[in-house]
Amino acid sequence: MLNVNNLHVHYGAIHALKGVSFNLNEGEIVALIGSNGAGKSTLLKTISGLLQATEGEVSYLEETISDQPAQDIVRKGIIHIPEGRKIFAKMTVVENLEMGAYLINDRRLIAERMDQMFTRFPVLRDRKKQLGGTLSGGEQQMLTMARGLMLDPKLMLLDEPSMGLAPVLVEQVFDIIEEINQQGTSILLVEQNAQMALSIANRAYVLETGRIVLEGAADDVLRDPKVVKAYLGG
Amino acid sequence: MNSEKYLRNSVQKGFIFSIVMIFMMMIGFHVVAANLTSKLFGVQVLRGSIPEVVFMAYVHLFFAFIFGWGASDKNRPSKQRVAQGLVTSVTTAAIISLFSLLLVFLVEAQLDIREYLTAFSADYMRYFVLNLGRPGIITLFGIYTVTGLVGTVTALFVQSDRVQQAWNRAKTSVTLFWENANSKMPAWAQKYGKYVIYGGSIIVLLILPVRWGSYLNFVTSVVGLYIIAGIGLNIMVGLSGQLMLGYAAFIAMGAYSMALLNAPTPHGIMLGFWPSLLVGVVMAMIAALILGLPIMRLRGDYLAIVTLGFGEIIRILLRSDLLVDFTGGPRGIHAIQGPTLFGRPFNSSSDFVYLIFFFIALSILIYQRLANSRTGRAWLAINEDSIAAQATGVNLRGYKLLALIIGAAFAGLVGGIAASRNAFTGPNDHSLMVSINVLSLLIVGGMNSIPGIFLGAFALRGLPEILREVETYRQLAFGVLLIVMMLVRPKGLWPSSRPIMENIDKAKVKKAKEKVKKTKRKSKDG
Repeated sequence: MLNVNNLHVHYGAIHALKGVSFNLNEGEIVALIGSNGAGKSTLLKTISGLLQATEGEVSYLEETISDQPAQDIVRKGIIHIPEGRKIFAKMTVVENLEMGAYLINDRRLIAERMDQMFTRFPVLRDRKKQLGGTLSGGEQQMLTMARGLMLDPKLMLLDEPSMGLAPVLVEQVFDIIEEINQQGTSILLVEQNAQMALSIANRAYVLETGRIVLEGAADDVLRDPKVVKAYLGG
Repeated sequence: MNSEKYLRNSVQKGFIFSIVMIFMMMIGFHVVAANLTSKLFGVQVLRGSIPEVVFMAYVHLFFAFIFGWGASDKNRPSKQRVAQGLVTSVTTAAIISLFSLLLVFLVEAQLDIREYLTAFSADYMRYFVLNLGRPGIITLFGIYTVTGLVGTVTALFVQSDRVQQAWNRAKTSVTLFWENANSKMPAWAQKYGKYVIYGGSIIVLLILPVRWGSYLNFVTSVVGLYIIAGIGLNIMVGLSGQLMLGYAAFIAMGAYSMALLNAPTPHGIMLGFWPSLLVGVVMAMIAALILGLPIMRLRGDYLAIVTLGFGEIIRILLRSDLLVDFTGGPRGIHAIQGPTLFGRPFNSSSDFVYLIFFFIALSILIYQRLANSRTGRAWLAINEDSIAAQATGVNLRGYKLLALIIGAAFAGLVGGIAASRNAFTGPNDHSLMVSINVLSLLIVGGMNSIPGIFLGAFALRGLPEILREVETYRQLAFGVLLIVMMLVRPKGLWPSSRPIMENIDKAKVKKAKEKVKKTKRKSKDG
């Protein structure tokens, strides 16, 4: 479904991604793990069109998308949920969800999707008219995911959904991710919390200073001695 | 230890207060204040160019009271507060006495120091110590000590719990009275009352320009044009979040289009007002497009600097000798023609006021439609978080560019009307100060709020025109106003309100109502 081939990205003189290649098949959860500065977020931003690659290409359903602007990529059904819970703090929960449906013109469809979101995330229903910035961390994470789901994406790029959340909430978030996946959305999951990510993923890639150093089925990666040492505190 | 500290702070406050007083004397504040009082209230408090002794005494009393009021910390016990008031007042009084000792010495020695400090005329110095000579020093000491203490005690009384409670009760009952009065009005009044008020104010606005003189019409036009400019700049800065410091350049586009196409010199094309205005608007939009394409990637400070440079480039080009045959150079372009409507020429000052009123209404209409549309929502999203906005599929570059172009169209409109109204435009009409003024009116009034823009335009352009007397102190007053504003109302005089606020207010009123009901029940039972 998604093919990334020999991707290079530069921030000025800094060579952030040095030839990354990987693929994601329809219906999968693929985890990308790695430490700070490995280039995980850069990779997601390049796929979603927020950054331009200097070399290599990204293709989605046999079509090259790495030369297209972000809004066109969103239109194709690839939704990027950026890290750090980037909600619109001064908009209400409902307005945030409406922003998520920005590319939909059909009001009835928007209302229908919003209803679905409120069923899936009951916390948000209670906070409908509250400003996004007044929600708690967990609620904000739910809101960003709900906002992304408003477009009913085929592929979701999730950047550190567990960041700064209490352990109970992390589990809740990962349950929701699994649920979204079961309903037919493929997921590319970037995580520092390797244990959690690998427990729900089908396959995994390990990224280190801009290169993929290890790949395989999630269970194999979880048992790899290097990964255990570096990320799982073994 | 702690008690010593709070008194030391009071001594410091005394120093600051007295220095403020001395500083005000040195810039001749009393003279300006007396001038203004005479003008505004029609009372003669001036003798020649110097305020009367009585007026000086009032100023002393007034400030001594204010100083005393501000002397004590709100959250300390009353005994300590009185002590603070006393210490501050005595310090202030002592320093001011020392200063007046110096003044008395200068007067007696007949030294003329006006060469160094222009405000220090002998009369002014004598009147500062209330024309009493040496005894005046003691009198001033007494005034500042006693009145300061009175101020502290008054503050204590007003801020005491009982008075505050009474005040709150009064406020609640007024709110309730309004609610009651509202609910008792007939249904049509509740529904259409607001339109009656709107209609009334529109009629007043239509009658006024003919009635008041050309001077007030001039002030109204200036304020009106700044309102339109403010609405335009608000689309750039307030809605889409792009800090633009070169707004005057777009105004210049409109003004020079009007001037070059509708004035006898230098080209004598005489296209007429309306086509020239349209050309001006289009030219401003094209300028925004040309500027916008390369700066799309810039944000914040960088964007501000580049736009500032753009504004200066346009102004310098207009006044350069290179283009003198084309743009009239530093001397500008004169005798720009006014508009005609249905064959009737605009020749009285009130005609232009009506024209500007019309365009203000049009601007508000366009602004409201835009702000509440999909486009407005996209701008708001970009302004809050550009990454999240892109992630939801908003075309970042497109919408930022659109905001620049639409904002510039308003500027072109303002420039065209202003040039035609003044029958003149020149490079100095489009200096950096104009851009700064438009931006400041947004900050002072409140971003994204139409009433805020009105208030800001009036405060920054209307008041200075009316208060010509304080011309010399305009910059000073402006700075003080900005500082006070940022402290007291950081979001502007009339900030934009989001719907969420409404709900909270209603909840508050409901709570207050319940409280009153409870107390009523209690009193009945008792």
